[in-house]
Amino acid sequence: MAPSRSSRNSLQSVDLRALDYLASPSANLLCPICHSPLITPVQTRCLHTFCSACISLSLERSLTCPVDRKDLSHDDVTPAPIMIANLVNDLVVLCPNREKGCEASCARWLVESHVREDCGYAMVKCAKEGCDGMVARKDVDEDCVHEAVECEFCEFAVRKLDLESHLRECPKLSSECPHCAEPFLNPELSIHIADCPAEIIDCPASHFGCPYTCPRSEVDNHTGSCHFIALTPILQLHTERITTLELENKTIRQKLELLIPPRPLPTPSSSSSNPQDSSTNTGSSSTTRDMTSEMQDYTYHLYSEYEQLRSDVERLNAQIRELDVKQDMARINEGLRYNDEMTGMRAAINGLRMQLHWLVASRRDAPTPNSGGAGGAANRVGAGSSTNDGRRMSDSARQIVKL
Amino acid sequence: MAAVKRIGRELAEFEKSPLPHISAGPATDTDLFKWNVVLTAPESSPYAGGIFTLRLDIPNEYPFKAPTLSFTTKIYHPNVSNDDKGSMCLGILRSENWKPSCKIAQVLEMAAGLLKEPNVDDAVETGIAEEYKNNYEQFAKTAREWTRKYAK
Ligand SMILES: [Zn+2]
Ligand SMILES: [Zn+2]
Ligand SMILES: [Zn+2]
Ligand SMILES: [Zn+2]
Ligand SMILES: [Zn+2]
Ligand SMILES: [Zn+2]
Repeated sequence: MAPSRSSRNSLQSVDLRALDYLASPSANLLCPICHSPLITPVQTRCLHTFCSACISLSLERSLTCPVDRKDLSHDDVTPAPIMIANLVNDLVVLCPNREKGCEASCARWLVESHVREDCGYAMVKCAKEGCDGMVARKDVDEDCVHEAVECEFCEFAVRKLDLESHLRECPKLSSECPHCAEPFLNPELSIHIADCPAEIIDCPASHFGCPYTCPRSEVDNHTGSCHFIALTPILQLHTERITTLELENKTIRQKLELLIPPRPLPTPSSSSSNPQDSSTNTGSSSTTRDMTSEMQDYTYHLYSEYEQLRSDVERLNAQIRELDVKQDMARINEGLRYNDEMTGMRAAINGLRMQLHWLVASRRDAPTPNSGGAGGAANRVGAGSSTNDGRRMSDSARQIVKL
Repeated sequence: MAAVKRIGRELAEFEKSPLPHISAGPATDTDLFKWNVVLTAPESSPYAGGIFTLRLDIPNEYPFKAPTLSFTTKIYHPNVSNDDKGSMCLGILRSENWKPSCKIAQVLEMAAGLLKEPNVDDAVETGIAEEYKNNYEQFAKTAREWTRKYAK
């Protein structure tokens, strides 16, 4: 019957992109866009290789190379060297019907013909005249599975294909309960399972920690003596209290976080509506939400004010430091000027003293018959200068002024 | 959908060769486009000892459009916006820089790198960036404090 098999071509299409490869292919053969082995490889002007479909999609969005962002147009894309195409086409792939049971693998360029003509698990048209159902190729020579047959139990019409799954649910058939192994009619089974007396269940207080398990029918014996069940009302109460406390704790922590801001706020912006408002609101619990936000605003306002004050103080400090420096500079400059003047003066006075000495000496040497008064004055000066060095300068200076 | 396949491949790759200090994967089994990421901060950084959770949102147009990354753990960092979004500004994720060839693993590695060394020239929180440049001690102090408070 082989001819009838191969004569029926499968219409199943093969998505090359979804194929699984026998060995993981070399990274050099992967398309940078879809990360699968290249399909119909093309090459760009910048010598990058892509799947033809991938690069077209990419160029639709942006006229740049997806790898190096160089300008690229559709005209810059040419088929890749035939060697690359051969390398990817020869990669061994697994049959796309592997999950249905086909264990074949073949070179990628052969996979389409495998599915179309050979694969036993590809779907082909049913062999029966007039039936347009589909069947796996390996089953094509068996009887048509699309005919309706009657279920021998419920007398319902079921396709042969679906008979197996129907028998699992047929309302006239019974299945075993997984717990007590009693047979039940299919529609009743789920009702029974919900309270099968043989099912092993946990103690009703298991969530409080009771480790006891027993069949459902015996659980009453246990509940009478179970300490956990006796404690259940109290434990319940505690659980509820813990939940409320946790909630409270959470809100308190949130408020605390507001009061100790974790970060300086960049924009005080809409700032603090009225702080008075927020204090009048605090009474009712329904307004907690906007109270929190108001508190937040208020805290931020305070915080920004504090920041402002701090920057003010910093500015003032800087100004004071600047003034200090200026004053120091002025004082030093003035001192220098005084020093200069003083040395200048000292030099001038020295010069004058020399002159005076010279004058006095020349006057003494020269014969002066009629100038006793002046000579006497000069003599006095000479005596003074010899007795007291410290006063000499000022004395001689005074003499100059008199002269 | 091309994106699903590529994300699936990247996920498999990521599980095969995990990155140090980074664990990541889809938040739910049904949605490959939302990942949870957990970064363990490097010992040498002021975030040491902190465990940071992030969200990676992958757009349907991936890989042609960049994913976005945001911190769900509060962090004091120049490159993470200091609001409830916690969005991380990562140069390679900007639309003008994004390359479809870039992998999620690379993005996550980059993010982990920023914990070690913030990029102050590309900061969202310029205040924190200034502090990092001019007063590192103060920056490190706050970063440590926040790490202790939010990331333990
Ligand atoms: Zn390129
Ligand atoms: Zn591709
Ligand atoms: Zn097959
Ligand atoms: Zn049929
Ligand atoms: Zn039946
Ligand atoms: Zn039962």
